[in-house]
Amino acid sequence: MSDVSLTAPSLRAAATSRAEPTTEARPVRGLLIAITLIFLGVFLLFPLVVVFTEALGRGVFAYFSALADPDAVASIQLTLLVAAIAVPANLVFGVAAAWAVAKYEFRGKAFLITLIDLPFSVSPVISGLIYVVLFGAQGYLGPTLQSYGIQIIFAVPGIVLATIFVTFPFVARELIPLMQEQGTQEEEAAISLGASGWQTFWCVTLPNVKWGLMYGVLLCNARAMGEFGAVSVVSGKIRGETTTMPLHVEILYNDYQGTAAFAVASLLALLALVTLVVKTFLEWRFGDELSAARR
Amino acid sequence: MNALLHYRTELDYADAPSSIVAELVGERLRGDPMTVSVKDLFKDFGTTAALNGVSLDIAGGELIALLGPSGSGKTTLLRLIAGLEFPTSGQIRFGEEDASAKSVRERNVGFVFQHYALFRHMTVYENIAFGLRVRPRATRPDEATIRKRVSTLLELIQLPGLERRYPTQLSGGQRQRVALARAIAVDPRVLLLDEPFGALDAKVRKELRRWLREIHDQTGHTTVFVTHDQEEALELADRVVVMNNGKIEQVGTADDIYDRPATPFVFDFIGDSSALPVTVDKGHVFLDDRVLAVDAKAQPDGPATLFFRPNHIELSSTGQESGALVGVVRAARRIGDVRRLELEAGLARHRFEIDVPIDANVNLHGRVAFRIVKSRLFPGQAAHSQASV
Repeated sequence: MSDVSLTAPSLRAAATSRAEPTTEARPVRGLLIAITLIFLGVFLLFPLVVVFTEALGRGVFAYFSALADPDAVASIQLTLLVAAIAVPANLVFGVAAAWAVAKYEFRGKAFLITLIDLPFSVSPVISGLIYVVLFGAQGYLGPTLQSYGIQIIFAVPGIVLATIFVTFPFVARELIPLMQEQGTQEEEAAISLGASGWQTFWCVTLPNVKWGLMYGVLLCNARAMGEFGAVSVVSGKIRGETTTMPLHVEILYNDYQGTAAFAVASLLALLALVTLVVKTFLEWRFGDELSAARR
Repeated sequence: MNALLHYRTELDYADAPSSIVAELVGERLRGDPMTVSVKDLFKDFGTTAALNGVSLDIAGGELIALLGPSGSGKTTLLRLIAGLEFPTSGQIRFGEEDASAKSVRERNVGFVFQHYALFRHMTVYENIAFGLRVRPRATRPDEATIRKRVSTLLELIQLPGLERRYPTQLSGGQRQRVALARAIAVDPRVLLLDEPFGALDAKVRKELRRWLREIHDQTGHTTVFVTHDQEEALELADRVVVMNNGKIEQVGTADDIYDRPATPFVFDFIGDSSALPVTVDKGHVFLDDRVLAVDAKAQPDGPATLFFRPNHIELSSTGQESGALVGVVRAARRIGDVRRLELEAGLARHRFEIDVPIDANVNLHGRVAFRIVKSRLFPGQAAHSQASV
């Protein structure tokens, strides 16, 4: 023990006298870390704590009865339904798009990649409005569909469409760089060994991108469940019918039902936390695979 | 054997028992190795022509090297034979059968990629078994047969016990051998290797080279491999195909290629060479106004290029005897057992190289007189890349 206390100062002296050439001075480092931590605390952690304290502020019973409210249950069910449709749809699309971009050369490829990013750059409200203009009562296709009894705007199909639009890029964006880096050699090898295109896809391509794929699906799912702007435009906010969880939170809050609003919000926050944990886990796994693939 | 002398290389390729080979190679292959012939192959990528009319006949069981600089079309030719690309025009035949329109799946070739292209998420075992597992149910062997075949192949590539490893856990040489086993596993009609040793270090490369020759002699597959390493091509192949600019310059044995180069390119590309722009006049060869001791009776008059190996000269003591050439030494360096001089000669100060004995009395900027004892004349002014290693 005494040895350590004796040698530690001398070590430290040696370290400061030969500071790392690529690292900032100690006070600068401290300042940067402090700013980051304060920022995170004020803007992220504090609100998260508030959500849960507000939700549980009137006791556990009030919390659960707020969640058991039929409208709340309906909103949870609708959110799950929308995600259950939008995520697989974008999974299929994302894999197809990444495959096309990474494995083939064709004209307009750069344009396609830009197009895939479009939902990221467009405001969600616009995304919703597009569908109102298309399918609304006064829209281009709305009256025709209405005559067949098909209701899209202010109904579940509209919500699903808007959600798909907004969550469009997540899977494709995750897969494209990964597949581009991996190239086509393993696929060529598989085909030369007699595998069909389908076998090649299932046995070679898909396993090689599985972690990236899961990561993309996770982000896609989080966004699909949490989307507010686009859904709010097309939903019509019919309680118990076309309100997803984010919309339900807003309605409750506007009705001054603070506890109930925060109770539902806490579920969304919980979803975010779970996503974060799984994402961290995947990043850990996926990073490992990636570095292995590069080795 | 003396324990000290018994140096165990990474690849101790003590003869694989012939029973292994018998098991591996179906009677079909042993008795009947596939011939491959390509005729008038053209391949364009967009506006650039990668292959410009290539015809080649490969005998059954032959080991052929496609040799050439990068961009010469050798890999394109290999991929066309495999069916990984389709020709713009021309024909590819496997035996009697026209394979031109068949896909790589139907051609039943074993292709070994330059960077191995092992399936990274599969073990060595699964990699080798892949080609058998993806077969249609009717021809797919049962699990016991697959296991037997994989373990036989692992023995052949001398990696038994590594079947549970993943490709990332193997060295480059081991990966290459797994890639070869995977290609052989499907009992291919032709074995095609794209720069098989390109990514390996020199020592492993030499070992694998000999080992590939052994495997080839044992299994008897018709084999084509691409390389830019002439030493590899000349040492390993039965016949070497020298390619340049999408065309075949010469096809022949190592001796043909080295001793009887058909074109200036081959002379220049294979081995060390020196070239002098000369003029042929009535059977005499002139460098500027000096007559060289080279016979050119069969040559047409006019400009020509004289190629010779740096070691195909003999020093002349006086420089006065007829046909001798005098040059000024511009640089000298030691190469193995000889000293290589870079000389300057003629009015245009042509630069070229000759080899002289280590003990020869030469000085930098001094003069050296010599006679070319063996050379080859090509009509016209040929381009020559002065070898500067």
